[in-house]
Amino acid sequence: MALPDDKELEAIFGDTIDLTTFKQILEMDEPGDNEFSSSIVFGFFDQAEETFASMDTALDAEDLEKLSELGHFLKGSSATLGLVKVRDGCEKIQRYGKQENLDGSPENDVKVCLEQIKKALTAVKSDYEEVETGLRNFYKDDDDEDGA
Amino acid sequence: MISQGAAAAATTGSSSTNSAGADAADLCDLSPVPTLVVSPAFRIQRVSKGVEDAWHRGRHEFLGKDLFTALYGGSPLERFDRIPLVRAIEEAVATRNFRLCYAVYTARGVTWSARIIPIFRGDEMLSLVLDWDRVEPKTADAGGEVIQSALSVDEVLRLLIQTVKDYAIFLLDTRGYVATWNTGAELLKGYKREEIVGKHFSTFYGEDDLQAGKPEDELLTCLREGRVQDEGWRYRKDGTRFWANVIITALYRNGVHIGFGKVTRDLTERREAELRLVAAYEESAKLKNDFLANMSHEIRTPMHGMLSACTLLLDTKLDEDQRETANIISESGQILLQVINGILDYSKLASGNFSVNTDLVGVASIISSVVKNVQMTLVPGVYIKLVLAPGLPKSAQGDPLRFRQIFQNIIDNAVKFTEKGSVQVDASISAEDETSYTILTQVTDSGIGVPEDDVQNLFKPFTQLEKPTKKRFQGTGLGLSIAKSLAELLGGQMGYRPNPEHSGSIFWFTVKLKKIANFNQLGIPDMQLDQEAAKSQQDSEKERMLRRIREMAPHKRILAAEDNLVNQKVLSRVLNSLGFQNFTIASNGAEAVSLLSASPNAYDLVLMDISMPIMDGFEATRKIRTYGNPIPIIAMTAYALRGDNETCLEKGMDDYISKPVNINKLLQKLLTWLDSPDWSKTGTSEPT
Repeated sequence: MALPDDKELEAIFGDTIDLTTFKQILEMDEPGDNEFSSSIVFGFFDQAEETFASMDTALDAEDLEKLSELGHFLKGSSATLGLVKVRDGCEKIQRYGKQENLDGSPENDVKVCLEQIKKALTAVKSDYEEVETGLRNFYKDDDDEDGA
Repeated sequence: MISQGAAAAATTGSSSTNSAGADAADLCDLSPVPTLVVSPAFRIQRVSKGVEDAWHRGRHEFLGKDLFTALYGGSPLERFDRIPLVRAIEEAVATRNFRLCYAVYTARGVTWSARIIPIFRGDEMLSLVLDWDRVEPKTADAGGEVIQSALSVDEVLRLLIQTVKDYAIFLLDTRGYVATWNTGAELLKGYKREEIVGKHFSTFYGEDDLQAGKPEDELLTCLREGRVQDEGWRYRKDGTRFWANVIITALYRNGVHIGFGKVTRDLTERREAELRLVAAYEESAKLKNDFLANMSHEIRTPMHGMLSACTLLLDTKLDEDQRETANIISESGQILLQVINGILDYSKLASGNFSVNTDLVGVASIISSVVKNVQMTLVPGVYIKLVLAPGLPKSAQGDPLRFRQIFQNIIDNAVKFTEKGSVQVDASISAEDETSYTILTQVTDSGIGVPEDDVQNLFKPFTQLEKPTKKRFQGTGLGLSIAKSLAELLGGQMGYRPNPEHSGSIFWFTVKLKKIANFNQLGIPDMQLDQEAAKSQQDSEKERMLRRIREMAPHKRILAAEDNLVNQKVLSRVLNSLGFQNFTIASNGAEAVSLLSASPNAYDLVLMDISMPIMDGFEATRKIRTYGNPIPIIAMTAYALRGDNETCLEKGMDDYISKPVNINKLLQKLLTWLDSPDWSKTGTSEPT
């Protein structure tokens, strides 16, 4: 398929996606199909859902270190796709997991950190769902199987 | 025993006139043939009557005297006169046989030859007998010339030419066919006389010279001018060549052209020696410049250290004396640094290694900024005036740094040498064509000026006109020489004339700046360019980089450490699209380290994620460096963790790129670290 123009993409994703980064992924597709980019995106969905589940577990266990690691992990892939909101949420989790405030200053109160992570996780899940829906719609137009 | 006795008897016999040998001795004395009997030590023992009669000299002039003194004594060239006789006697003694020595003594206009007879008994030489024969005088030839009253000129010249070995001397007939051939020619060219006489002389020339018509040109020139000289390759019979010096002379008899004389010398060795000399000279000049450049470079580094330490020192609490001393250190250091920079520039200019950059030049802004700086150094009461002609280009293409350096140099000089009055700077366009401007910059001062005699030395390197004893003005004397070379490098000139109004100087220089016809020619985007042009500029730059990396990628191997599967996939795709076929993705630092330690030379570059499970990027880098592997490592740092970038360099990585990895940025970094430095240096300023 031809590369969608910026307006079309904005209409689908709003501010949930950094268009420059996402287009860079789309440009990696062979002309005529979007096999590569959709495999990346759907790979990311699996990864995200797994990670959120692990985060829930770690939050229950109050394992800040694990939470920070998971936050960093998902931050990497969401940044690669340009999913800025998810990326920012993950960074919050990573920070508080390291017992830091968002500006890098130390936050020694474990309770505060866990509380912040809980909030951030809820927010990032909803951000994720929003962008997931957008992405699934985006790929559904071209390939019904993928969109199902 | 027997020979000893015999020798003793002989000695007695020859030294006594009363013994049984007396008769033989008398015979000798009475002989009408001029005869001398000489002892092995060249004392004359007997003199015949013939000597007295023929030479009109008394017996007493010979008896008991040294042979050579008796014959040649009194001649101013005695030491030359004796050479042939000495040699002939040596040969006679060595061969124990008689020798003829031709025309070796002249008495009263008559020349005599000697027959030298060595007399031996057993191994002992008893004496030498020299018999003399008169040389019949030759009748003088047509020219009236006679050599040694013995040989005619014709004979001597024929002998001379025939036997000379080091020169090929031969005659050509009027059309260039070989007519004579000497020993030298045979040795040099390898042809025997019978092989070459009658052949044409163009045989000796190479194919190129024949094609160019050189042999016939030489004969024509020779006829027109009487002679012709040439150096070049000539060929021997066996096809080998030698570097020949050839002189051809036209020969005439009674005004009629009869042929050409040709003299050829083999200068192969001299030519090789000359080439070696030239090479040695070039090598030594290069070594000198390299040495200068290296030294200057080596000195600069510690100088910078010293100067920064001095600046720190000046910031501390110092008393007045200490401050003054520290200031002197600092100022002297600055001057030394300028000197070193000057030498470095000079050696680069001298060796032709000076590179000119292409960038935007804003003439007016450079001149005003330099003038503003220089104002601080003016002697109180001296003022500076700046006249910028309207129409100076706001921006053109050239080397702004070099332009600034030239201008700085001449204005520094003007300010340095002006103690009262003014300095005026004029800049204008002196010429303009479709593609370029010539900018004239002129600095007029009312300073001490330049004495007329010294004007010619102004631009010579290491010359300072001001006498060093005065110590008023410091410098290496390189400044103007460098500035002039730089101006020439920028397509311009530099010159001096005295200030016509009063004492002082006018220094001027021109440089050529290219007009900016098409913004795409520029290596850098500019604020003034409209976005469209900038974008196409960037695009073409990107294309150029892409072309380059795709050329290079198939030969380069990359190791990437990245734990996230999604990122791994994207990174593989990016590397693939850049043309890399050989890359490995490790999913954590430990894996990367073990891959590299197993085969340290298997990769050309590492892309290293920082935060990874099992072993992070910092730890992995530390391990790789511990093994002594210098491979370039580019960190891929996660978004927004401030300070990460600096940490990467501290931890032994070479560069970093932030995530998510932008394909253009990655492209630039890969080119920086994988390509030869030359390419990236020239590449950025090259028009596309």
